[in-house]
Amino acid sequence: MYPESMQESIRKVEASRARRIELALSGKPVVEPMSAEQRQDVLDRFHPDYQDDARREVRWGPNAGQRLTTEVADLLETYARVDPSDYDLLEPDFDTDVLVIGAGSAGFCAALLAQEHGARVTLATKLRLGDANSMMAQGGIQAAVRDDDSPVHHYLDVVGGGHFDNRPELARALVSEAPDAIAWLRRKGVMFDQEDDGSLKAKPGGGTCRPRMLSARDYTGAAICRTLRDEIQNRPEIRVLEHSSAIELIKDARGRVAGAVLYHLLTREHFTIRARATVMATGGFGRLHVKGFETTNHYGATADGLVMAYRAGARLLYMDSVQYHPTGAVFPPQILGFLCTEKLRGMGGQPVNADGELFVYPLEPRDVEAASFIREATELGHGVSTPSGHVGIWLDTPVIEKLNGAGAIEKNLPAMLRQFQRFGVDIRSEPILVYPTLHYQNGGIEIDVECRSTVEGLYAAGEVAGGIHGRNRLMGNSQLDLIVFGRRAGRYAAAFAGTAEPAELSLGHVLEANRRVGELGVDRDRISPLVLPDYVPERVKRRQHDTRYRGTLI
Amino acid sequence: MSLLYFPGCTLKNKARNFDASTLEVFSALGVELAELERWNCCGTVFSMADDDLMLQLAPLRNLLRAEQQGGGELLVPCSMCYNTLRRAQRFAAADPERLGRIRDFMYDEPSAYRGDVEVRHPLAYLRDRVGLERVKQAVERPLGGLRLGAYYGCLLLRPSELAVDDPARPRVMEDLIAALGAEPVEFGQRAECCGAYQTLSWRAVTLRRTYEILGSACAAGARALLTSCPLCAYNLDQMQREAVKSYPDLCAMPVLYFTELMVIAMGLGWKPEWSALHEVDPQPVLDAAGA
Amino acid sequence: MATEDKLVTIHVMGEAFRVPEGSTIMTALEYAGFQLTTGVGCREGFCGACGTLYREAGDYKIKGGLACQTVVTDGMHLAQIPFVPAAKPVYDIEALSPDEEAIKRIYPEVFRCVACSTCTKICPQDIQVMDYVQCLMRGDIAQAANISFDCLRCGLCGLRCPAEIVQYNAATLARRLYGRYLARPSERLERRVEAIARGDYDAQLDELQGLDADALKKRYYDREIKTK
Ligand SMILES: Cc1cc2nc3c(=O)[nH]c(=O)nc-3n(C[C@H](O)[C@H](O)[C@H](O)COP(=O)(O)OP(=O)(O)OC[C@H]3O[C@@H](n4cnc5c(N)ncnc54)[C@H](O)[C@@H]3O)c2cc1C
Repeated sequence: MYPESMQESIRKVEASRARRIELALSGKPVVEPMSAEQRQDVLDRFHPDYQDDARREVRWGPNAGQRLTTEVADLLETYARVDPSDYDLLEPDFDTDVLVIGAGSAGFCAALLAQEHGARVTLATKLRLGDANSMMAQGGIQAAVRDDDSPVHHYLDVVGGGHFDNRPELARALVSEAPDAIAWLRRKGVMFDQEDDGSLKAKPGGGTCRPRMLSARDYTGAAICRTLRDEIQNRPEIRVLEHSSAIELIKDARGRVAGAVLYHLLTREHFTIRARATVMATGGFGRLHVKGFETTNHYGATADGLVMAYRAGARLLYMDSVQYHPTGAVFPPQILGFLCTEKLRGMGGQPVNADGELFVYPLEPRDVEAASFIREATELGHGVSTPSGHVGIWLDTPVIEKLNGAGAIEKNLPAMLRQFQRFGVDIRSEPILVYPTLHYQNGGIEIDVECRSTVEGLYAAGEVAGGIHGRNRLMGNSQLDLIVFGRRAGRYAAAFAGTAEPAELSLGHVLEANRRVGELGVDRDRISPLVLPDYVPERVKRRQHDTRYRGTLI
Repeated sequence: MSLLYFPGCTLKNKARNFDASTLEVFSALGVELAELERWNCCGTVFSMADDDLMLQLAPLRNLLRAEQQGGGELLVPCSMCYNTLRRAQRFAAADPERLGRIRDFMYDEPSAYRGDVEVRHPLAYLRDRVGLERVKQAVERPLGGLRLGAYYGCLLLRPSELAVDDPARPRVMEDLIAALGAEPVEFGQRAECCGAYQTLSWRAVTLRRTYEILGSACAAGARALLTSCPLCAYNLDQMQREAVKSYPDLCAMPVLYFTELMVIAMGLGWKPEWSALHEVDPQPVLDAAGA
Repeated sequence: MATEDKLVTIHVMGEAFRVPEGSTIMTALEYAGFQLTTGVGCREGFCGACGTLYREAGDYKIKGGLACQTVVTDGMHLAQIPFVPAAKPVYDIEALSPDEEAIKRIYPEVFRCVACSTCTKICPQDIQVMDYVQCLMRGDIAQAANISFDCLRCGLCGLRCPAEIVQYNAATLARRLYGRYLARPSERLERRVEAIARGDYDAQLDELQGLDADALKKRYYDREIKTK
């Protein structure tokens, strides 16, 4: 399947394989992990975040004056999609105790727990239930369950991986509730991989000092998310609104967040919903294609929650840091940017250059690993080019079969096997070509351990929230944070809703935000939230005479 | 030697004792049963109406599986499954044109069914291949002349082309009973219908059948019945409790799979959990063998 | 992506469009000018939102694929199936037993299977759908859960089934029953949950939280790394 032009390099990879397997069998790291200084050097020089144009100052709002990722700053300096005068806020269309926005695993957990704590719950989501990053997680979820591991080890890994910027109390809640979160998921019927003695299979992950990655084959996110979705659908008391994208938060006379404006993607109607507490669970921002990168994220990952919360006055944290997953697919072109799970490396897969040589410890934290790949392919010129003009480095997957026994890939990595097989590459016998791809929003809406944002009435959980992972999340800790903080958000939001008295609704903050953005002289056509990315070709747009593009087509 | 074995769905749940006892008995007689891989429901009920080719898919797919796994003989203990699969075997042999259409529909299979499978019932297999003499030699705890009725019901004997024995005067089960050291009693209703699925739609019919069949066996002196059909077992055994309400003079007796009786007589391990799958306690039969 | 001068013709719900050779059905639809709001989700083969039925030129066989994973061919006819009509029954997982009785109660139509294997033929994940339906019929929940594990619930099996079974719903139930009742207990996990609840790690975590930045960094870089 690989074209002739790539074959020569593949032969070199094959030639060095036996030697590399021997190295791996020694039990020691195949390449010495980097020191703090080495890490800093490769990040400074090669990580996309550290380049001059990667960040700029945002000029208004709760984070005014801070340097944020350029695309994020651009997004925060846009006009609202709604015109506040269009809505009769005295007569909202729906009324609820807890409104959960976003139906990934964080939203599901929040909705379930809020309902269990006595709240009337409405769950509104952009596309269908589970069209979400949560469904896509392959490699695993962290929890310190082995005897030689503990929440203490886990904590160290979390804060070291996050460059010590994590909010300590959030990191502590994350690691302390991890085993319980897994036990809860098992009671809901999630099937985790197990050893013969019943203990949960744990594999090493990038930046972990112990094997701690629990998994459900390489459909870990799907196994969790589809179980939670099924449970949501078993509770008819939870009102579910699909194709209902939140396009602005509503506040009340006391300045609390008190609901949202929803836009129905199919009927194009707008609805208003009043809520005593609102949980933002809209996930990440991969579809902003920061710095032009391909992304692993789902179609609706357009950072809507960030901009809505920002307009409502919520402070953001660490929105200057972007996670590039080291191993995005480069070949074949149909799957450009798709994720190749870190579990491939957790099970022994080795990154090697065009000459078949190892050049980095396979399980550095993601930012370090990604930056090393970029160095290898650019500065050192040891990358491999594809016919369509992309460059990558090899991830030698056949090693996995050699280290774990024949059949290991089919059993533990069926999604990966299938993904490449569909396009004619057999990862059991051929290496795959990879390069960093835009993966995860490290920061987000600032929260405390009760998932409260800096605005009363607004809670946040999941990828949209910031602080837990500092400036770099480790693999498997996101799936974990969805459960830990999703459940917390539901519980605390329900408790808050029980005490909150409704007051008069208002979209005044939107007018104010528009005014501030107007003062900056921003082009009137720049609006948000984006809702969906704009993939309509220019050729088509030119003929759509009755459609106005404002941010995106919708 | 090893023989392909098709258990059928019911032997995996309500008739687990039939499955387990079959395996034990054959193993003790030196025949290792290899459960067919990827078997599916035999296709009963649906496939009996032969006007729709679709409905022959289930049984034929099982035969194809058997062929893919070496072909030859396929052992099928459940009367219902036996009947269905054996019919399909004959259908395939008799109507190549329609078989061709089914093959065409099954294009996703790596091979097409050639007709190389012989569906066999264990009763016939014991008689013809193992030999009842061998069974007799394997008896460790003869059943002390216990009087037992062999209940054939419909599916082992009808239609006659599929019958495991002479449909008018079957004796294979009686001969087996004798070989195990018990005394077979022939009774009038031994080949009458048990009421089958009327249990679901018209219960009174089945209750009456239960009453009459048991009555007939009782009058002939039987102390327990043998069967090879989980549905018959259900109607004759599980329904006794309900039937006695309508027919207070019902003659209660245990109903066993013939393989269970063999386990007892051959001194193999009777499993206590099998008793729980019976409505009427089979203990008297165990006692007769001194087990 | 594919070079724009090489185009092929696909028929979207009967209407012909010229799209780049080598593109997936999903990117081809976008190239043709559709902005997708249904039949699209993760775009990476994990969410099952973009189930598509198609026939290729010169072949009577109807095939199933995910739009984001299937490459267009010249002369292809296709229709996206964003949803397959089927309500999801409501049940309490705590009130079920992991056997065929649960299946009978919640999904009685499963027992209508005629073993035609049409479901298996259409599955874009190449799952032996019919085999797991058969396992459900005989109460083999563990095997049904295992075989169906990679199901994305695109729904195409349920659409094609002549017995009108909703396979993917029944499979979801099977997996939950397995996870809830049949998966082996993990004593290590339970012990760890208890130890945390007892506060066994509190002192150490307090200490780490109290360290200054340099001391914490030292702890981190000095920690022993075990990969096995
Ligand atoms: C390919 C991939 C693989 C990954 N693998 C792993 C892994 O192995 N381990 C790990 O720990 N993490 C992994 N992650 C990260 C992790 O899965 C995500 O960070 C996490 O699932 C985010 O969950 P969430 O509930 O916050 O958001 P999501 O699951 O993305 O859900 C957000 C939901 O909100 C909806 N939404 C968005 N905007 C709006 C709006 N305006 N109105 C209404 N609804 C809206 C979306 O449509 C979506 O349904 C992976 C991520 C990806 C993309």
